[in-house]
Amino acid sequence: MIEALLQLLLNGAASGGVYALVALGYTLVFSVLGVINFAQGALFSIGGYLTYLLMGGRIGVNGALPGWGLPGGLPFALALLLAAAGSGLISLLVERVAFAPLRRRGAEPLLALITSLGAGVVLVNLLQLLMGAEGYAFPHGADALAGLPDVLVIGGARIRTIQVLLLLISAAAVLALSLWLERSKGGRALRAVAEDATTAQLLGINSAAMVRLAFFLSGALAGLGGGLIGVSVSLPGPYFGIGYGLKGLAVLVLGGLGSVPGAIAGGLLMGLAEALVPSDASGWRDALAFAILFVVLLLRPSGLLGRRTVEKV
Amino acid sequence: MIDNGLLVQMLLGALLGLSVYLPLAAGQLSLATPAFYAVGGTLAALLSTRWSGLGATADGGFPVPSLLLELVLGGLLAGLLALLVGRLVLRLQGIYLAIATIALVEIVRVAILNLPFTGGAVGIFAIPQPFHDASGYLLPALALLALAGWICQRLEGMPLGRAMAAIRGDELAARCLGIDTTRVKLTAFVLSAVLAGSTGALAAHFLNTWNARQGSFDASITTLAFVVLGGSRTWLGPVMGGLLLTALPELLRPVGNVRLVLFGLVILLGPVLAPQGLITPALLERLGGWNPRGSAEGRQEAQP
Amino acid sequence: MSAPLLEVRDLSRRFGGLLAVDRVSFVVQPGEIFGLIGPNGAGKTTLFNLISGVTPPSSGAVLWRGEPITGQPPHRLNRLGLARTFQNLRLFDGLSVLENLLVTLQRQPRSSALAGLLGTAQHRRAERQRLDTAWQLLEELGLSALAERQAGTLAYGDRRRLEMARALATGPSLLLLDEPAAGLNPSEKDQLCQLIGDLRQRHQLTVMVIEHHVPLLMRLCDRMAVLDFGVRIALGTPDTVRQDPKVIEAYLGSGSGGGNTP
Repeated sequence: MIEALLQLLLNGAASGGVYALVALGYTLVFSVLGVINFAQGALFSIGGYLTYLLMGGRIGVNGALPGWGLPGGLPFALALLLAAAGSGLISLLVERVAFAPLRRRGAEPLLALITSLGAGVVLVNLLQLLMGAEGYAFPHGADALAGLPDVLVIGGARIRTIQVLLLLISAAAVLALSLWLERSKGGRALRAVAEDATTAQLLGINSAAMVRLAFFLSGALAGLGGGLIGVSVSLPGPYFGIGYGLKGLAVLVLGGLGSVPGAIAGGLLMGLAEALVPSDASGWRDALAFAILFVVLLLRPSGLLGRRTVEKV
Repeated sequence: MIDNGLLVQMLLGALLGLSVYLPLAAGQLSLATPAFYAVGGTLAALLSTRWSGLGATADGGFPVPSLLLELVLGGLLAGLLALLVGRLVLRLQGIYLAIATIALVEIVRVAILNLPFTGGAVGIFAIPQPFHDASGYLLPALALLALAGWICQRLEGMPLGRAMAAIRGDELAARCLGIDTTRVKLTAFVLSAVLAGSTGALAAHFLNTWNARQGSFDASITTLAFVVLGGSRTWLGPVMGGLLLTALPELLRPVGNVRLVLFGLVILLGPVLAPQGLITPALLERLGGWNPRGSAEGRQEAQP
Repeated sequence: MSAPLLEVRDLSRRFGGLLAVDRVSFVVQPGEIFGLIGPNGAGKTTLFNLISGVTPPSSGAVLWRGEPITGQPPHRLNRLGLARTFQNLRLFDGLSVLENLLVTLQRQPRSSALAGLLGTAQHRRAERQRLDTAWQLLEELGLSALAERQAGTLAYGDRRRLEMARALATGPSLLLLDEPAAGLNPSEKDQLCQLIGDLRQRHQLTVMVIEHHVPLLMRLCDRMAVLDFGVRIALGTPDTVRQDPKVIEAYLGSGSGGGNTP
């Protein structure tokens, strides 16, 4: 009984960690520009597929180059890291195409919502052109975790090793990012731009560079999440990131827009809540995040850990 | 290239565009249209396949008056849902409202997927047909669009429509000028839902099968794109956006798999190239001096 | 004696650790022009926000003709007869000048939504009446030549007057003006003074004015209250207020020096 509960909690925390990654990605961009980057879900997909290819996976029969694959194949950790960096670079491209032109013109923020979605649609469908719509399983599910057993026994509970890794890696990423934001010069500059772009500019901070940095990091976080989920579950198709993107959005609001600790807490809370849904109601699990979101929005629109803002009259 | 079936789809697209436009005309970015569309469609699909009282025949026919009844019921049910939900979510502003309405869409989608009587992932199929072929749907779709457009046009010269414009301009100022903003926003939200619900009821018959995928997040975005690309300053914008963007993926079918990429590019580049959308009040004025805002009527006589 | 038009009783508002308005009390009698002055950050606009229902007070009460109205939403207060303008102008910039007024003429006269949709004779009559009222107000405030212009494109002084016209269109008995002379040149300020006086006459108005420009307020007001750090430090006719030592100190002593800031 205790074991089952522990297992449940660990599973919940593992998916919660991934939600937190996605939500943090939104948070970074939101706190700098005050807009939501709806291409986040597509970048999540891209991270998953990049990880797959970098680990030596081959393109399926419906792809653009059936049977093609990178020679060799990298170990999981390296592939994941490179895939995250690749997603970050594509995120920079999204910024350039979908955000920068609107910002230069001082257009309504609502428009960035549309353009970033357009960017997401383009990316996901390009991915589909390249890889086909079929699902992929990773080439070396178990051996990828070099030397580690498939299943760990922790306190009597049997846990898939990859779930533990998922939790550890996302926790490490989240922690590193928060520390970096809090302590480093670059992180402080980023927060300064988020607080007040004009003043930051006057203090000599290159806010355009900070915006690019925020996009790179947020794309990398999404890519990391995609790679982790891909390895632990599989890649069910190019659209699989969209669902995670939406859940991340729910987590974002749950924690409070623009709040880093809020995104982390919200992610864990959401993951745990989903893990506690009994398996005979698992079909409803996907609605839980949004039901919680709904309740939170109504009780406390600024989120669990967000700041309340007062409109100046 | 454009057959009757596509024409009907385009008209349905225009209707959904108007459904997104109505709350936006009151300054509220709601993405809930697909949820109400799904509710209306599911109701029609259930009623026509399960309730023999509506007169579905063994060979899959369906009386037209029953279809009209479903349009009304679909609209009413969606409107009722909007009335309940709107009271809660319309307290939220800007992006929060947008996210809350996305949440509503997802909740409705998962519900339709999991409820015991909605057919799960397959959905409800063999929905009876009131017409012999697609062309039969042209008239009801066109009539519904004409009705919705007429209401939008009349609104411009009415206190309700003006209050909506005021809230869009500055909600706080509107409140201080005696406008019951809660009520006005709720009215716009409910109107939007009724329109989407009726459209869903019509679409369920037209499409012949109905499942949870009809009202998804993707649909939230495409319908919003109708409004943004068409232009959100007059009701003709979303109508034009809905017609064009519904036709586009079909017209692009010859280019095969690239079509969805191109569709995404249109959504991506449209707001960059035409931030006001295709149809703007200035454009309408140039095209023959038609004033899209009816408020000017009688201006001359009233001038002292 | 009948009840005053407006009474503010021990009204306070706290923002975090800051007491923006601290137990302020005064009454406003029908027909008078009542001024509110004080250095920057004294809590004048917050007080307006409390009275007009934009911000709920932390404690205290507002009474309208003797009846408590504390905590009512702004639109309800407006329907009671209380209209306001905003310090930083909140026009409907996308609408024309005329439409800015029509928007406001919601209920005079009433016409049902159905009548509006069908364009019945009743609706057309109501519309005619609304247009008449709107044009009359535009005429009165010297804006009729600009009726078709987009509000966002107007010059500053015209925008100020349009905001006043829009507030008047709601048919108020009490008009709250938040720094109506801000950004106007001296001759425009004089005209504004004249205009406020005229409007009071013609619309049987009671007026409350926030103003930085002390000489203007002294000339305009029947009585005034002085706020400093959220506290009402003086109340009375311009002459008594002028000689109040606490007022002199607030304006000259504390170095906040905002008395004549533009």
